[in-house]
Amino acid sequence: MTDLKLVVQRFDPFADFKPRMMEYAVPKKDGMTVLDALLYARDYIDHSIAVRFSCRQASCGSCGMKINGRPRLACYTQVAELGGERVVAQPMDNFAIIKDLVTDLESFFAKHREMMPHLIRADREEQEKPSAEYLMKPEELERVLQFTYCIKCGLCTSSCPTAATDSRFPGPQALAQAFRYITDTRDEGGEERLALLDDAHGVWRCHFAGSCSYVCPKGVDPALGIQLLKRHVMSGKAEHGVGAKVFTAATTPPLEGK
Amino acid sequence: MRESRLMLLQYATALVAVVLVSIHLVMQGVVLPYSTAISFGNILSIYRNWIYAIFLEALLVVVLVHGFNGLRIILSELKQSRPWSTWIDIGTVVAVVVTVAYGTRTVILAVFA
Repeated sequence: MTDLKLVVQRFDPFADFKPRMMEYAVPKKDGMTVLDALLYARDYIDHSIAVRFSCRQASCGSCGMKINGRPRLACYTQVAELGGERVVAQPMDNFAIIKDLVTDLESFFAKHREMMPHLIRADREEQEKPSAEYLMKPEELERVLQFTYCIKCGLCTSSCPTAATDSRFPGPQALAQAFRYITDTRDEGGEERLALLDDAHGVWRCHFAGSCSYVCPKGVDPALGIQLLKRHVMSGKAEHGVGAKVFTAATTPPLEGK
Repeated sequence: MRESRLMLLQYATALVAVVLVSIHLVMQGVVLPYSTAISFGNILSIYRNWIYAIFLEALLVVVLVHGFNGLRIILSELKQSRPWSTWIDIGTVVAVVVTVAYGTRTVILAVFA
């Protein structure tokens, strides 16, 4: 079986002046993913390659990187699907490099937290100690379901042209999550979030390039969420944000249910 | 002003500009041959028509507001800091006011020339 030419961008900001590309010959196997190839190179050829990974099944979002020029999850990208005998692995754009393929996601998560990615109720005491389960109708769930699949891998932000130039832009992931909670019928914090988004560096800086949706490994469409979010911001209202607490015979108060 | 209001203004001026610029191009290139349309005598006669003078003033305001607001957006994405944003906002307002005033002066002088 032929070897795969694995080209890895190497860079240690504390030791190197600029990034360099290093090539490794990795024996190909059926079903081999790019992460498998990188781990082979790290384990048997060069122990100093830095790569972040965890679940190996596209659930944790740790192994986001640029593979053959496109942001992808290394564990979810098979070598065979790329075609050719050469695979180039580089760190994601729009993030600072910690080392080699490992990028600093601190600001990414900070922007995610800014959007208050949790249900907010007007009655804060009720929020802390809910007296009953809050239910959604299936059609209400469908409106937000795809956005709940986000694994926070950062691929969307790394492909976003606005995130490349505007450091204060929240990015597609954070904006899509803001939309997810604003549209949730159980949430009452829509106005708080809309105030955050109606800023010179907020939702309006998305120019609808659509690359975020193109690269998402989970099929989320952040670009759609952002355009719908603009409508909420323009009207100043979270149209589905005022949720009703639904009591039914099947409702089990979570604190008493155990 | 809230960013959403500025963007609403941007979209509205874009739509109005499409209509006004189209009418302007038709009047200057189709109704009359271009060489005739830009002759000194024809331009003076256009300005002395009150309806057309108001139309040209509207075109001036709409295009300048849209253009400078667009430039503000591009510049605000170029660099991020509070002083930079403040200077861009002030510069945009000053640029719109000065250029609209200068353009209006031209319209008024032509109307009463």
